[in-house]
Amino acid sequence: MIKKISQFIRKIQIGDLLTIFVFIVLTGYLSSILWNFPQGEYLKIQMGAQDIGSFSLNQNSTKIIEGPIGKTEVIINSGKVRISKSPCTKKYCIHQGWINQLNQTIVCVPNQISVSIIGNQSDYDSLNY
Amino acid sequence: MTLSIIKINSQDHKVAKLAAIAIALSVIEFFLPSPIPGVKPGIANIIILFTIIKFDFFTALWVSIIRVFVVSIIVGTFLGPTFFLSLTGSVFSLLFLFLFKGINGKYFSVISLSLIAAFAHIIGQFLIVRFWIIPHDGIFYLLPVFMISALIFGLVNGIITRSLLSLNIK
Repeated sequence: MIKKISQFIRKIQIGDLLTIFVFIVLTGYLSSILWNFPQGEYLKIQMGAQDIGSFSLNQNSTKIIEGPIGKTEVIINSGKVRISKSPCTKKYCIHQGWINQLNQTIVCVPNQISVSIIGNQSDYDSLNY
Repeated sequence: MTLSIIKINSQDHKVAKLAAIAIALSVIEFFLPSPIPGVKPGIANIIILFTIIKFDFFTALWVSIIRVFVVSIIVGTFLGPTFFLSLTGSVFSLLFLFLFKGINGKYFSVISLSLIAAFAHIIGQFLIVRFWIIPHDGIFYLLPVFMISALIFGLVNGIITRSLLSLNIK
């Protein structure tokens, strides 16, 4: 078996190595382009249509926002954000977990809180639901 | 009543035999579970590559097209999206094989051809998916997954084809 493998490796032609190399480079290059998810810089918190504020993502802090039905706790942990406490019944916002990419959003509908990661510019002019 | 007789020559027998092997391999592959939907090893391409080197391009063209049609009828995807994906993939593979089959020789072997065919296959499929089945740019996020699988299976199929060719099967 080992003899056969070594025999096989010796028989590999130079052009084949070139082709394999070209395709590996092509795959790597396209993967790096296509899987380049932009990171955001700021966190924008809204309550209804009202802006609560924008915060830098490069910090470790907890924000408490007062909504119509209670207090929602948002945790910023150097680049990623989650809602950790919410007075809503279904807790979808908490179950969504951490978000860390540009234009990702967590929404808590009962408490009218939306938390989104923004960069210097947004992909969309507006979103409504 | 006139009786038309189709004369069957050795070329037809050759195509039929090769197509039969390719169909059998495709059907076996269809029933094998795949960890990622859509990622398949494409073992029938071993036969196509073998044919293109051992015989000629037009035999390979026949074998490939017959395989696509018959397999889709057997597994029940005929004229469905899967069938058109398969057909486009095969046509693109054949097109690139036709363009590059001349490189097989001193410096390049069937391994290169196999990789070219595998990549041509996903290029064709992505084009048809992008312009017809899922007209959205989001599908290109999946491209690296398919490229990595094309790299692996193209290489493996090429190696198998080369060892098959070195056996001097008639």
